[in-house]
Amino acid sequence: MRELFAILFFPGGLFLLAGGMMYEWADHKLIARLQNRVGPRWFQPLADTVKLLAKEEVIPSGISTFLFIALPIAALAGALTSALYVPLGGLAPTYSFHGDLIVALYMLSLLTLCTGLAGSNTTDSFSLVGATRTLTQLFSYEAPFLVALLGPALAAGSWQISEVNTYAQSHWLLFLQPIGFIVALIGLLGKLEMPPFDSPEAETEIVAGAMTEYSGRGLALFHLGRKVELMVGLTLVASFYLGGLGNPIEFVVKTLALLLGLSVLQSLMARLRIDQIVGLWWRYGALLVLAQWLVLMLIGGFTS
Amino acid sequence: MSEKSEKFIVPIGPQHPALKEPGHFEFTVDGEVVTGASVRLGYAHRGIEKATESRNWTQNMYLLERICGICSHIHALAYCLGVEKLAGVSAPPRAQAIRSVVAELERIHSHLMWLGVAAHEAGFETLFMYSWRDRETLMDVLEALTGNRVNYSANLIGGVKFDINADQRDTILRALEFLEERTAHYMDIVTTDVVFLRRTRGIGTTSAAQAELLGLVGPTARASGVARDVRIDAPYAAYADFPVTLILHNVGDLESRFIVRINELLESYRLIRQILDHMPEGELTARVPRRIKEGETISRVEAPRGELFYFIKSNGSDTPERIKVRTPTMCNMASVPVLGIGQQLADIPMILAGIDPCFSCNDRAAVIHQGDDGDTWTWERLRQYGIDYYRGQP
Repeated sequence: MRELFAILFFPGGLFLLAGGMMYEWADHKLIARLQNRVGPRWFQPLADTVKLLAKEEVIPSGISTFLFIALPIAALAGALTSALYVPLGGLAPTYSFHGDLIVALYMLSLLTLCTGLAGSNTTDSFSLVGATRTLTQLFSYEAPFLVALLGPALAAGSWQISEVNTYAQSHWLLFLQPIGFIVALIGLLGKLEMPPFDSPEAETEIVAGAMTEYSGRGLALFHLGRKVELMVGLTLVASFYLGGLGNPIEFVVKTLALLLGLSVLQSLMARLRIDQIVGLWWRYGALLVLAQWLVLMLIGGFTS
Repeated sequence: MSEKSEKFIVPIGPQHPALKEPGHFEFTVDGEVVTGASVRLGYAHRGIEKATESRNWTQNMYLLERICGICSHIHALAYCLGVEKLAGVSAPPRAQAIRSVVAELERIHSHLMWLGVAAHEAGFETLFMYSWRDRETLMDVLEALTGNRVNYSANLIGGVKFDINADQRDTILRALEFLEERTAHYMDIVTTDVVFLRRTRGIGTTSAAQAELLGLVGPTARASGVARDVRIDAPYAAYADFPVTLILHNVGDLESRFIVRINELLESYRLIRQILDHMPEGELTARVPRRIKEGETISRVEAPRGELFYFIKSNGSDTPERIKVRTPTMCNMASVPVLGIGQQLADIPMILAGIDPCFSCNDRAAVIHQGDDGDTWTWERLRQYGIDYYRGQP
């Protein structure tokens, strides 16, 4: 019974979907205000989702219908599952075991992977270019982002999210590991395909990238997955770097502060080309975060 | 599978988010690098040149003004200057000065709009939103001055329709003050923003020789160091009394196109102030006969996008015999497939936007050949085709 409630209502299921929509609205509204626009009303993400779900889903011919239908479901399921391991709402995670950090991160990557596969599963050139870009970008930010989140884990001496969260409540890792924080923040932008890392869905080049052929229900599920991923990603980075998440008030304040940072970054920059993204991550992101990791290991080695 | 069908082609258009008007581009890509490009235009051909032949001289002014929604004044101006030349009259100095003021205001609104569109193509939405917000200041000025935001309808054959009074003069000067400050800020952004520079510096570089070869005009040519500006080479309206400073930049990449256009904005602010400060007194219109003397003439003006060319032929009646329009996009379009090759696919929308294209202005009837059986039409065949087409029996 408790498990069913956890999966369907809180913290999984409905709470997560509603929360994801609110965070997306906050993100859109903040960017709009930063760009001197009015921005959407609070129920806009809900209205968009309902509208998409009600629309006809066009399945293109000449492709695998099974994959076309299954991929959005797998993407959303992955994002929802990852939420069970993070301290949503500042409460203890529903499920917790040693090494759940890695599981949660790869559940989050499932969305990107599914997007890439969905794009490859068409004959449309925009989708194919978009899929190539999605997967290329995945390989460029994934490792640095992972290492950036392993920094706090290393400091806490545990790869369990709840333990890192507890450790972070007494250590503001934002100041102890500033490089890791910056890489994690920018990695989150990349993971969510937000500007300047929105090259995989650059509308002025490849329409909607891998999502071009999707309509109706499939597109709605992918979008829902993206909303959930936004909320989970914010929770994860905030709990690791912003002094942990001990209670619901801390949760709201810290994730919103992080979201504000993301919005500012998004509205500050032009879109990077895919080759520039790969160069940026492997030339600077990966090296910086590895250097910091090395320092942490050395300090850890000397103090123990 | 033949070699041809193995090519991976990314079609852009006729309907595509990067295009605000219909045009069709096919880019053959190898990974992300463009290896081949072709352009097909003609989706928005409206038959305006032919339509002018069934309207009288005054009606045509309104029709031609509607060729382009962005540079409407300059089309009417080119036409009026041509007709005045044929009729042997010239507009009074004050009218010429007002024409120049409106032309420069139009250039400002066009360049600010371009700045936003180009930023949007690069995914820099914030610059897009801010530059378009500031452009509204100018649209309000144009509305206060002429009563319209788009087709100002400022010209008459032989003069202008309205005067600029002291109040309007102050409105313009106040708007220019605000815009000058903002423009300086945008100049700062496009030349120092590191992320944006990665998308513009060294992209789509056109050498001066290449620009000459492709016949580029306007700011696109001036960004490659080609000194070509009709306002200086053959001054019209009030540009002889109020000379324009030539804006040049000789790198030829996208960044220099930004620099040239933003510098032109600053030059336009200076010029408008100068004209308003030394406005000649006098009449606004000259008398022009209803029938225009037989003859033919050309009329060249500098539209925001480059040289706009009109050929006007009169047979002595109250309607023109032939009007031929060549808009600057026609000259600049050829550079897109040439410059696109070897660039990244992601830079293509920027290269396209770099020439500030205006599709429906340059569109003409296009005949499409499938395959390689292209042939050359003789003048006689083309003429006969035209006659048959308009009789409804192609």
